[in-house]
Amino acid sequence: MFDFGNLVLNENMKIYRRARVWIMWGLMVLAVAAVSGIAYSSSANPPSMWQMVAIEMIVMMPLVSIFAVIVAADIVAGEFTAGTIKLLLIRPWSRSKILLSKYAATLLFGFFSMALLYAALLLVNIIFFGYEKGIKAAEVFGAADPAMSAWSYFNQSFFMQFISLIVTVTLAFMISSVFRSGALAIGLSLFVVLMGKTLGQLFGLIDRKWVDYVLFQHLDLTRYIGMGSSGANGGMTLGFSLAVLAGYYVIFMALSWFVFTRRDVAA
Amino acid sequence: METSAIVQFRNVTKKIGGKTIIDGLTLDLPRGEVFGFLGPNGSGKTTTIRMMVGLMRMTEGEIRIGGASIATDYEKAIRHVGAIVENPEMYKYLTGYQNLLHFARMIPGVGRNRIDEVIRLAGLDKRIHDKVKTYSLGMRQRLGVAQALLHKPSLLILDEPTNGLDPAGIRELRDYLRKLAEEEGITVFVSSHLLSEMELMCDQVAIIQAGKLIDIRSLRSGDGSQEAVPVPVQFELDRPDEALAIIRRSIRPAGDDGGREIRASVREGLLVIDALREDIAELNALLVKEGIRVYGIRSKAKSLEDQFLEVTGGESVV
Repeated sequence: MFDFGNLVLNENMKIYRRARVWIMWGLMVLAVAAVSGIAYSSSANPPSMWQMVAIEMIVMMPLVSIFAVIVAADIVAGEFTAGTIKLLLIRPWSRSKILLSKYAATLLFGFFSMALLYAALLLVNIIFFGYEKGIKAAEVFGAADPAMSAWSYFNQSFFMQFISLIVTVTLAFMISSVFRSGALAIGLSLFVVLMGKTLGQLFGLIDRKWVDYVLFQHLDLTRYIGMGSSGANGGMTLGFSLAVLAGYYVIFMALSWFVFTRRDVAA
Repeated sequence: METSAIVQFRNVTKKIGGKTIIDGLTLDLPRGEVFGFLGPNGSGKTTTIRMMVGLMRMTEGEIRIGGASIATDYEKAIRHVGAIVENPEMYKYLTGYQNLLHFARMIPGVGRNRIDEVIRLAGLDKRIHDKVKTYSLGMRQRLGVAQALLHKPSLLILDEPTNGLDPAGIRELRDYLRKLAEEEGITVFVSSHLLSEMELMCDQVAIIQAGKLIDIRSLRSGDGSQEAVPVPVQFELDRPDEALAIIRRSIRPAGDDGGREIRASVREGLLVIDALREDIAELNALLVKEGIRVYGIRSKAKSLEDQFLEVTGGESVV
């Protein structure tokens, strides 16, 4: 068939031609710069570069999730709310391909947001504090493995969080396809993302086998980084977490596709 | 399958939750005509259109567009179609041009030249690079028509296109649609509950009520046939009663027409006579000669509205 890339191009246009994306990204970079700037100017003995990177990463990462979830939740449901879905679907494209193009654009947005945060954290803090070589992850990130470098931990952490982000975004995307109201989809997705950690801890209190299969128990993959020789974490391994996430991922995707491709578009 | 019908409905039925919305619709749309789809609110017009463009599934039956089934060969069938379903909802945060670019990218072989062409066709040259949220409803409607025409479809489907347009906008749209049908050979399928609109715009009208096709009427049957039947003509005069007397005196029923009966009366200050087209001029000449002042002459051909109410029995459908 003809160019599927055009569909992704369209979805990208609809994401990046809106001011909100640039406001979100602007806020993100500004926040990183502001925190580092304040720490640099107001403290008598300024923190090290990696210390600031570690703090800001923990603070900013949820923001990236929130932005990506907003875009994911809006990308399908928003078209229903605005009524534009009707004009979008009556083209010589199957609904599957249209949905796939939306999903691709969503993941791309998540990737770009991550990349922007990655670049901002490094650049801003190198500018303020200068690059520090030979810092161990154990000092700034609290990793258990004494041999691991901060640089290596930082990269692995981004990789792990990107995997979590994909699952979270896919959840929001599913909610977006199932509920045709943009506001509801965004609200529900944000609730899940924000409450996820709390819910995870709550479930952790329950002493049952099935708790190990709850999604929220597995969204924080960074705890598996630099564990050193300890091996398992709370009885779970990275492989197990990834398997559970993969299971949820398949369910989310199947449900999105099933609902979107079969549903009558009314109203 | 290259028949003259661009769209074939065969026993199309839609049930939602046990309720039958469309009931066994069978209909052929001939090529190159403006075809009206008329029915009261809630009669199933929009549902039918949604099924035509694949937004809704049929419970039973088949719709073929250009020979391809919309259910099993969607991507081929839909290439024949340009449509606005209900309101022309475009991406408001994009400019008109970006909206057109968006839809052009989805169809192979639609380049920038064609985009510029439909912009000119729709008369949007001046505002095309403004955001759609700044457009008036009429402009959005025109942008909607422009996006529907991008890929030179052989079938244009418009759902209640005159909704919310002012009289000038309606007239403009009407002329434009007739031009498309006559010059480009595009079949235009228009739904509406506005009877008078359809009358001015369409070659044929299908009337639907409570999900059932109840009648198909041709509105442009050759002019000759209309002349053969006398229609009531209203004369607005200064002295209608006197005029009636003059006419009764001057025109004898047993004239050269072979005893045709003259039916004339005065109603609400107007003289109403059943007359043929040719008679109207002569009646006028007669009245003027007799010193009656003629202010206006109106032919009261049976309007679609009368026909519509006749067919649907004037009842409203809930």
